Amino acid sequence: MRTDYFVKRVGQAVLTFFATVTLTFVLYRMMPGGPAEALQNVILQQQMGSGNTIDPARVERLVAQYTNLQSDAPLYEQYIQYMSSVFLEQDLGESLYEDASVTSLLAERIPWSMLISVYAMVIGYTVSIVLGAVMAFKEKSRFDSISSIVVIGLNSTPYYVVGILFIFFFGIRNEFFPTGGRVGLGVEEGFNAAFMQSIAYHAALPVLSMSVLGLGTALTMRGNSVRVLGEDYLRVAKLRGLRNSRIATQYVGRNAILPMYTQFMIGIAGVLSSSVIVEEIFSYPGVGLLVYDAIQVRNYPVLMGSLIVFTLVTIVAILIADLTYGFIDPRISSGGTDE
Amino acid sequence: MSETDTIVEVRDLDITFQMNRGQSRVVRDVDLDVARNETLGIIGESGSGKSMLASSFLNAVVEPGVSTGEVTYHPEDGDPIPVLELSESELDRFRWEHVAMVFQGAMSSFNPVTKIRTHFRETLQDHNCDIPAGMDRARELLESVYLDPDRILASHPHELSGGMKQRALIALSLVLEPDVLVLDEPTAALDLLMQRSIVTLLRELQEEYDLTLVFITHDLPLLTKIADRLAVMYAFNVVEIGTTGDLLYNASHPYTRALLDTTPDLNVPVDEMSIIEGSKPDPVDRIPGCSYNPRCPMADDHCRSEEPPMMEVRDTQESACFYYDEAADAVPISAAPDKNPPAGRTTAIDGGDN
Repeated sequence: MRTDYFVKRVGQAVLTFFATVTLTFVLYRMMPGGPAEALQNVILQQQMGSGNTIDPARVERLVAQYTNLQSDAPLYEQYIQYMSSVFLEQDLGESLYEDASVTSLLAERIPWSMLISVYAMVIGYTVSIVLGAVMAFKEKSRFDSISSIVVIGLNSTPYYVVGILFIFFFGIRNEFFPTGGRVGLGVEEGFNAAFMQSIAYHAALPVLSMSVLGLGTALTMRGNSVRVLGEDYLRVAKLRGLRNSRIATQYVGRNAILPMYTQFMIGIAGVLSSSVIVEEIFSYPGVGLLVYDAIQVRNYPVLMGSLIVFTLVTIVAILIADLTYGFIDPRISSGGTDE
Repeated sequence: MSETDTIVEVRDLDITFQMNRGQSRVVRDVDLDVARNETLGIIGESGSGKSMLASSFLNAVVEPGVSTGEVTYHPEDGDPIPVLELSESELDRFRWEHVAMVFQGAMSSFNPVTKIRTHFRETLQDHNCDIPAGMDRARELLESVYLDPDRILASHPHELSGGMKQRALIALSLVLEPDVLVLDEPTAALDLLMQRSIVTLLRELQEEYDLTLVFITHDLPLLTKIADRLAVMYAFNVVEIGTTGDLLYNASHPYTRALLDTTPDLNVPVDEMSIIEGSKPDPVDRIPGCSYNPRCPMADDHCRSEEPPMMEVRDTQESACFYYDEAADAVPISAAPDKNPPAGRTTAIDGGDN
């Protein structure tokens, strides 16, 4: 039963991945001024600028080389070509503007985006879980109502507005933090304290403004905890004279956090996609900024490449959530088939 | 019942809740003695305060309820323990080691994400008990409630049936060897066969482990099978107490008699079953005099102005009725629940509406 479930879930994930990539591929091709055309124009302009004669066959060859596809071939052929080079050769094509492969561009940017996303999630969710739990324990107190208002307020404020306010107050008015970049100028790269410090210093504002995304979880946590606090097993645990620390973690904490596990994993996708805007605001050179810049200049191979990475991360996160849920909630482990 | 050895002594117990429309007194001035090794049944209709009374044995009245008065626990050896005056940490030790409680809703009494084994282990651990010895005792207990220890300990709560969970919970409640086990509607969610087998089981456990049982229910027939003494609660107070025999055959409070008369009988059509007319009193607005007077056929001015104290009917029986000696005539009982009904009987009601 376990194997069936595993195979089914993985199959679903692979299918979703293909469907997403296919759909995006088709949509990109349907847009007026698609990637091949855009590249053709770029090459034409360059050629005209340098005064060379224009050889359509040569342009065609160049386009094919950069985008992994023949622009005049039928859509399905282009599709097969693109997919085979992506999946068989792990080749995402070349960037139209930089002299670099999409793979190497992404590989260079991804760690930086991961850094701020992971910290944003960890901080956002940790704060909300602790806050939510404390609110639940002090249900109906003044602390509870004030925190609720603040959390609802923050949760309704878009993270990019928070980001801009942060830049204004902590970057411009008071120069506590830099307003852009990911590491200070002239800091020696490598595993040394100054470099690490500079990274943390530059990442602080983007991380903080993105952690606002996770704050809504505090209300979910509060609701879940209040529910668990009213459960019979909690009363029995108290009657059994169990330690408060055990009741708080093993009983309230575990049962309240469980339903949020899937939400966390899906949250990874939310954090990744929000990085596009956050990184633009803070001029933080991660994948998000790469995507943003690629959109500006219609750098389609980079767009397709980043999209594939985003999709992959999201689908893998959800897949992991699905497959591991059974381990953290014993009630699910045997019930996989009836879903 | 001889005036021997009292294990739990309740004096002037009041349990109150503050509500918007005033103070709600859900237990009022209760005095009650539980004798060592007896089975005391507490019976009463829903909302009569019986669960609250039982919770106070562990000082576990749910917030924001306030218990005042005295609940004293007398250990076999050692000083009496004033349960209502214990601090939080003292309570943590007292609970489950001296008095354990199994209450309604055993279905959800276990943490759904941990195994039954963890429940036993954490209980032992938090009471600083020797874990290997304690787990051996847990196995023994599970066996004595007819469960397979290895299988049960390795199971999660959702993998057990209702009856299994209830029995596992009883085993869990005895793992620290308490002297008193309070059972609040332990059979409420179980089918009839399981109810009977739990009752049999409890009797066996009581003998094996020298337990004092306090059994709360509104299932009178069930109670008569297990209880040595019965306490009848009406409107937040005990109105009659006596041995099971006293109450079944010589009930001296009109409410007890009416209650006995309402006991359902399979041989009687539903529309002929007797009911107690009127509704139960409100815990906030107390009526003067005897709390049962609006529903009592015997009530007179005396009952409406003065509250009757507990009066001694005989050595073993007390009743809170001025006219306890007349109750038998005023409120006839058509069938005592424990008597075997004569075959072919068609009605349970003498006189009245048929």
